[in-house]
Amino acid sequence: MSDPYNPVTEDEIHAYVDGTLEQARRADVERELERNPELAARASDFFALNNLLRERFDRVLSEPVPARLRVERAESAESAGSAGAARRRGREAANWPKFAGLAAALVLGVGIGWGTHGGADMLGGAAGHGDRHADLHTANADSTMNFVHEAALAHVVYMPEVERPGAMGASDEQDFVQWLANRLGTNVHAPMLEKSGFELSGGRLLPGADGDVAQFMYHNAQGERVTLCISHRKASSDTTAFKLYQDGPVNVFYWIDGDFGYALSGGIDRKELLQLAHDVYAQLTPR
Amino acid sequence: MDIRDELIEHVPRLRRYARALINNRELADDLVQDTLERALGRTALFRAGTDLRAWLFTIMHNLFVNQVRKSAARGTHVSVDDESVPETDYAVSATQTGALEVRDLDFALQRLPVEQREVVLLVGLEEMSYADVALALDIPIGTVMSRLSRGRERLRALMAGSVPRANLKVVR
Repeated sequence: MSDPYNPVTEDEIHAYVDGTLEQARRADVERELERNPELAARASDFFALNNLLRERFDRVLSEPVPARLRVERAESAESAGSAGAARRRGREAANWPKFAGLAAALVLGVGIGWGTHGGADMLGGAAGHGDRHADLHTANADSTMNFVHEAALAHVVYMPEVERPGAMGASDEQDFVQWLANRLGTNVHAPMLEKSGFELSGGRLLPGADGDVAQFMYHNAQGERVTLCISHRKASSDTTAFKLYQDGPVNVFYWIDGDFGYALSGGIDRKELLQLAHDVYAQLTPR
Repeated sequence: MDIRDELIEHVPRLRRYARALINNRELADDLVQDTLERALGRTALFRAGTDLRAWLFTIMHNLFVNQVRKSAARGTHVSVDDESVPETDYAVSATQTGALEVRDLDFALQRLPVEQREVVLLVGLEEMSYADVALALDIPIGTVMSRLSRGRERLRALMAGSVPRANLKVVR
C-alpha cells in the first residue's frame, strides 16, 4: 500500500524518531519499518539514543544553578547596577590553565575529526617540532597518531570510572582476558604492575579508528591512575622505540611492535610513567 | 517580560546542552557563563518577538566553535618541559558516579565531530525542531539533516562497538 512514487526518505525516518513527522506520513513510515528489519533496527537505535541522552543529561536540569551562572531579575539588577549579573565569580584567570589542557585533550582529536584526516594534523603538530620524530613520517604514522590520541582521550574520559579503587578478581580477570583474546584475535593479557605499586582495576574494549583497542586501567595507593591501551593493528608496521606524546596534562608513552600498538597514559610524573612503560614492555613484548 | 527574566528560564537547558557537548562540568559551565555574559552585553541586538532560545544557542555555538579552534591550535604544540598537572586538580566530580555505559556514551559523544555532535544534541536532547537548529547554527536545513544522519549513524556504530553483548566482567 505504500506509494512507490513517494518512498520513505532518510529524513523522514529521523523526523519519525523525533516525533516531528506529519501525521499523514507516519503510517507510511511504520509500514516501511515493518517491511524492512534493518531500517527498523536503525530507527529503534535512534530512539534509544535520544532516550540515553535524556537519561544521561536531564539531571543537569535539576542541579542547583551555581552562583556564577545566576542572572539577577530585572528589578534587582537595576538597583545593583548593570554589572550585577553573571559576574565573573569563581573563575580567576589563574584557574584557566589547569583546565586548558583538559580542554585540549577532550576537544582536539574530536575537533579535527578523527579517523580520516585528523591523524595528519596531529602528526604535523606532534612530530613536526623535533627531527628526532622524523621517522614517524611513514605510511602508518597517521594511524599510529590516531591510536595514541585515542589512548589519551580514553584515559581522560574513563579516568573517573576508577574513582574507587577495587581489584579485579582472579576469575573475572580470566574471563575478561579470554573474551579480549577472542575479540582481538590474539592473546593479550594485562601486565602486572604491582611491584611499581599499580594494581589492575578494570579493563574494557574500545572501538578504535584502526580496529578494537583493549584498555586496562590501573591505580596505585595514592589514587593515581594509568591506562594501558593495546591495539591489534590491521596494518603491520615497523617496531619503534618509546615515544612520548603529550596531550594537555596527559602523558602517553607509546611504541609499536609489528602488529601491536601500545600506549600507556597517565597524568603522573613522566619518569615514573616511563618506568612503568619499560615494565609493560618487558612483560608483553615477546623476545 | 524583561529579557533577563527570560534568560533565567533558559539557564538549566543551556547547562544541560553544554554538559553533553563538553563532558566536563567546569568547562561546560564556563561556556554557559560566557554565553550569558555575551547575551547580557548584547540585549540591544536581540529583537523582541524572535526566538530567544535560538539566539542563546547561536551565541553558545559561536563561542564553542571558537574555543575548539583555539584548543586545536594550542594542542598541536607539544611542550616537553611543562610540569604535569596532578590529575586530582581536574578530575571530574566524584558525584558523577555513572555506570560504564554512561562513560561509553560520553566517550562516543566526544568522538563525534563537533558539527555532528551539536546537531545530534540540539535535536535529541534539546528537542529543537530541524528549522530551529538550522537557525541556531546558521546552516541550511539540508545540512542539519545530513549532519544528524551521519552523527546518529556514527554514534550508533560507536555505541555498538563499546557495549559488548559478551559477558564482559568489569570491576568498578
